[in-house]
Amino acid sequence: MNLDFTPEEQAFREEARTWLAENLPTEERPPDGQPMREFDLAWQKTLFEGGWAGINWPKEYGGKGLNDIQQMIWYEEFARADPPFTLNNSCTFVGNNHGGPTLIVSGTDAQKEFHLPKILGGEVVWCQGFSEPGAGSDLGSLSCKAVIDGDELVVNGQKIWTSYAHVADFQELLVRTDSTGPKHKGISWVICDMTLPGIEIREITTMSHVNDFCEVFYDDVRIPLTNVVGEINEGWRVTMTTLSFERGTAFMADQVELASVVERLIEEARVRTGPDGKRPAIADDEIARRLALARSEVAALKAMTIAGISRTQRTGVPGPEGSMTRLFHGELHQRVYQLALDIIGPEALRLTPVDGNGWTGPYLQSFAYTIGGGTTDIQRNIVGERVLGLPRVK
Amino acid sequence: MDLLPTSEQEEIVASIASVIAGNHTLGEPLTDALWHAAVAQGWLALGLEESLGGVGYSLAEEVLLFLELGRACVPGPFLATVLGARLAAESGDAELAARIIGGADRVGLAERYDAERYSILDGESCTMALVVDGDRVFLADLDGVALDSIPSFDTLVPVVLAIDLDESAPLATAPDGPALLRRGGLLVAAMLAGMAKATTDQSVQYGIDREQFGQPVGGFQAVKHRCADMATKAEAATCQVYYAALALRDGRDDAEFHAHAARVVAARAAVENAQINVQNHGGIGFTWEHTAHRYVTRSRVVASSLGTTHGHLGQALAATAPH
Repeated sequence: MNLDFTPEEQAFREEARTWLAENLPTEERPPDGQPMREFDLAWQKTLFEGGWAGINWPKEYGGKGLNDIQQMIWYEEFARADPPFTLNNSCTFVGNNHGGPTLIVSGTDAQKEFHLPKILGGEVVWCQGFSEPGAGSDLGSLSCKAVIDGDELVVNGQKIWTSYAHVADFQELLVRTDSTGPKHKGISWVICDMTLPGIEIREITTMSHVNDFCEVFYDDVRIPLTNVVGEINEGWRVTMTTLSFERGTAFMADQVELASVVERLIEEARVRTGPDGKRPAIADDEIARRLALARSEVAALKAMTIAGISRTQRTGVPGPEGSMTRLFHGELHQRVYQLALDIIGPEALRLTPVDGNGWTGPYLQSFAYTIGGGTTDIQRNIVGERVLGLPRVK
Repeated sequence: MDLLPTSEQEEIVASIASVIAGNHTLGEPLTDALWHAAVAQGWLALGLEESLGGVGYSLAEEVLLFLELGRACVPGPFLATVLGARLAAESGDAELAARIIGGADRVGLAERYDAERYSILDGESCTMALVVDGDRVFLADLDGVALDSIPSFDTLVPVVLAIDLDESAPLATAPDGPALLRRGGLLVAAMLAGMAKATTDQSVQYGIDREQFGQPVGGFQAVKHRCADMATKAEAATCQVYYAALALRDGRDDAEFHAHAARVVAARAAVENAQINVQNHGGIGFTWEHTAHRYVTRSRVVASSLGTTHGHLGQALAATAPH
């Protein structure tokens, strides 16, 4: 039990701080379309050229091979540098945190050689094709169908909630290749080239005014069998392996960032007039208590994150306990922005971008935090069943 | 950086848990056997420096002890006695410290009840009291002090009111009252985090054992999700207590904030989990026979010791920002 950083970790922090000060973009991130894609890929290229891409990827695949503590330091330094954009709110997120890591664990040599350098180097955008209109929380019941025809898979069906599909080059696509057995046994994980004939993409506008949430339609889309990752019908296992890592660290950036958001909100409450129209907002007892609670809970969130890292160091693989951190984080993130709107008064009439230092845009976006990547109800099932050992739903 | 107990610390926890299990029944008063075992095991001076006559472990191990005391809902004057031993030792009265550490003098916790009176937890069974009067903390002899017993909200934590507690002639006074209170506040947080975990475990066990509609009720999401929320709150509290213990131990400049944060998060977890635990048990949870109510009353009593949740919230906001 200790809070000490090793000399190596200290040096790493200095190195990260210096590099970020010199290389972090200062311009706002364009809100959508090709300009957004170009901005995100340019930042990924900057990271790559500076040697900071794939910070959690193994060195043999071009990554930085950092341990989880160093990753946390990197996120802390990123947040400290006060960037004009959010680390995880990027069309490079799926490639960096999900698609790439899945290929590293389960891909063939050819798949790794072709795709991994492109992801790291900021050449391509990946998106996720998991959810369907009839398969959300019950992902295993997905029905987007793929039939083997010669050396190709022929895909027909629909995916939804596919962020950045409209600017993506590749997709991690889950398809049903067998519907005769148990539902989890007939799913395959394939790499889908988004330029293939038969793919139609429609943008969906979110409640936070963002257009990068998409639905994707597949009409006789022919994907080479060599694009299957893992074996045919083994897609569920491939997915679960990657998800266990996602539970571990993929959301650490958001969790670290929330600490600086709360400190910024405390500053807002000092300068803004409070509900009595006279004193600063922070002089209001209720607002002060909610701020104090948010600050305390964000500290506890960081402690949970570190405890999770410590646990993974002991066991080697992130356990289901990560779902407690996800659950706590998602709801806390929402409470912070709910409080923000109570503090900023008439400024809450102005719509701000989802990124950046405004409050209303991020408030609208905060609704995603208890839905995306498994709703809080699913997280509670995981905690109840796999951490606490309660019986499964019949 | 590592936030979980080491294997040596886990052995300490296992030993503490086994001593408690062998000498204490949930819902029963403190036994002399447990008090004597605690003395023999050095619990009353576990975190006290060897140079001050203690066992020489750190605040981290002391926190682990109080997590276990909270988890098992052990009654008795452990908190004030441990703090009293430190107070005596730090004030230079080694003889007094040795008497407390040896278990001969039990120390009750005295805090302001109203303008005239102090409430003293466990006052009747104690020979002295740790008196908290603002930032001033001192040990007072209870011999000859008129004690007025009141019906206690937690029947295992007897409360007396002291009208004529002599503040002018303390046995010893803490050289640094705020530091002692910070330490005590964190031990309170540890007890609360332990309780939050215990009530989670009770609800989970009942969810597995109790069947309705042909299946264990823990299979129903209404129950399962409440258990998941309880576990998450207990986890958050425990992790923050660990973090704050290390920050205080190491003298970090944001330690004060972390101690208040731990106290706030743990108090809410303990009180809310204790309340939901009754609900999860249905009718049996509402009976005197069942032990669920023990955590309801104990969490409230402990959470109101050494400051209130609102007080600690205010201090968490006023403290230097964490980094």
